[in-house]
Amino acid sequence: MGVKLYKEPELTNPTMFCGWPGIGNIGIIAIDTLRGALRAEQFGEIEPYEFFNPQKVVIEKGLLKDLDFPSNKFYYHRIKNQDLIFFIGQEQPSDGRTRYAEGQKAYQMANLVLDVAEKFGCQRVYTSGAAVTQIHHTARPRVWAVPNNHTLIGEIKEYDNTILMSGIEGRGGQGAITGLNGLLLGVAKKRGLDALCLMGEIPYYLQAAPWPYPKGSKSVLEVLAKTLDVKIDLSQLDNLATRVEKSIEEFLETLYSTEGLPSHIRDEIERLKLTTEAEPGPITEEEQKKIMEHIDELFKGEDWNDEKQL
Amino acid sequence: MMKNSFKFLEQPQFENPSVIVGWNEDAGKLSPKVIEYLNRKIKGRCFCEIEPADFYSLGAVAIENDVAQFPENKFYYSETANLVIFKGSEPHFEKYTFLNAIVDVAEHYCKAKELFTINGTIAPIAHTSARRMSAVFNQQGLQKKLQSYGLEDMTWEGRPAISSYLLWVAGKRGIPGVSLWPEIPFYLAASEDFQAVKLTLRFLDKKFELGLDFKELDEKISDQNLKITDLREENSDINRYIGMLESSLSLSEEEQMELIKGITEILEETG
Repeated sequence: MGVKLYKEPELTNPTMFCGWPGIGNIGIIAIDTLRGALRAEQFGEIEPYEFFNPQKVVIEKGLLKDLDFPSNKFYYHRIKNQDLIFFIGQEQPSDGRTRYAEGQKAYQMANLVLDVAEKFGCQRVYTSGAAVTQIHHTARPRVWAVPNNHTLIGEIKEYDNTILMSGIEGRGGQGAITGLNGLLLGVAKKRGLDALCLMGEIPYYLQAAPWPYPKGSKSVLEVLAKTLDVKIDLSQLDNLATRVEKSIEEFLETLYSTEGLPSHIRDEIERLKLTTEAEPGPITEEEQKKIMEHIDELFKGEDWNDEKQL
Repeated sequence: MMKNSFKFLEQPQFENPSVIVGWNEDAGKLSPKVIEYLNRKIKGRCFCEIEPADFYSLGAVAIENDVAQFPENKFYYSETANLVIFKGSEPHFEKYTFLNAIVDVAEHYCKAKELFTINGTIAPIAHTSARRMSAVFNQQGLQKKLQSYGLEDMTWEGRPAISSYLLWVAGKRGIPGVSLWPEIPFYLAASEDFQAVKLTLRFLDKKFELGLDFKELDEKISDQNLKITDLREENSDINRYIGMLESSLSLSEEEQMELIKGITEILEETG
């Protein structure tokens, strides 16, 4: 188990961007869109076998041709005077007990990613994910930024549409980042490497949805593009956001017409339209929990675990 | 070889045996029934176990049919046949490590020449139809060697079963292997399919010249067929559904569910 590098590009103080699936796939879509727009070139991977189970088998005329595992690839690119490394993981490693990265495997993965960062002399690592909060899906998501040391705070304050944890009312600068996004910040801190996580906001009622949330990704991408001083064509992301928003509207109509749904739930979700910023209101945590019980019930149909296996 | 994962009870000597792998959970209980039958007939003795702690959630013990269960992964050998048999439970965690542990014993300890895995595949056929047995090989050499055995070449893409994953691990380590997939009528998937068990054992009997006696199995097949025939006489819907399958007609989801329920109940009631 380890890192396989196909080539060793000569890079000067590169910045690393890491993306993997999570809530609304906000992080991976943001980072992978940036990687794709810059046409970064693959130069290595982390062998997946001990981290992940295979997702697909290909059998042709009685011969087992291939077993597909989630990929974990490294890419590099040079822009102007900046060298960039991307790490795109198709899945977060876990020990099988939790949905997102946790435990020994996640720690190993975080270390392997940062081994590559350090090998090429990275000065900074960005991760990206979702910030689940009380916003309406028609609102522009903000970006919550968490650095792994105080020296980055001043810079973050200059970012557009971005907020530190201390800027979110009621949080007092506290919070938690689950999965590899958080773990990577911690492991980087342990190694003395600057890292920050940019989290695009997503409405809490969509956190279990099977669709991506491209509006959150777009907000993250706007911050990254400005930081790097590059222009990124966001039209594909906008198109995807339009399609997803249509699905969300249909989903909410289904939710609102659910038999036995307490009448105030529609009002509570719709009331979010009137708020411009994600704050711990207009509904209470308890009300949010009750709404999620109804929503989880609707998403239960999105389970493909009974699919045939051979 | 990960020695901590194993517990050796005996250290028998082998001469490049073939390894047959079966699982405790399978459609029509095919895999466990084949392995149990085979083990009984060749007087298999357990010589090694894979320790469960790394591979299963041991926070709770499952209860099935009133009895507490525990994952078992055992290797057996026979003094009369040059075979190693593995019967195990699909791991919850660390599948890659687990499958490599099986291949470790096969490769390093037994010096196995080839590996066979046994699984049933659910099919929309009647229990009175002739069963086909599909096969998946991890290399062409073994496929050519077994081409006279009437196995059907499978073509498929989708989520891999544990046997396909094992076959891939074995192939990666240079051990030729084949996964055998006999058909199980969907309405026998929750019960036992003795016809498919016999089909698989006949293949193994021919391949390894075991001289197996199928009398016991033939009795079970005819007993099960009789029960289903009686049900067909009593229940015109069940009779019609099976008749449609016999004529290669497909059933609606509702009809399928009714057929599964009727057959499962009658086979459970009558033991």
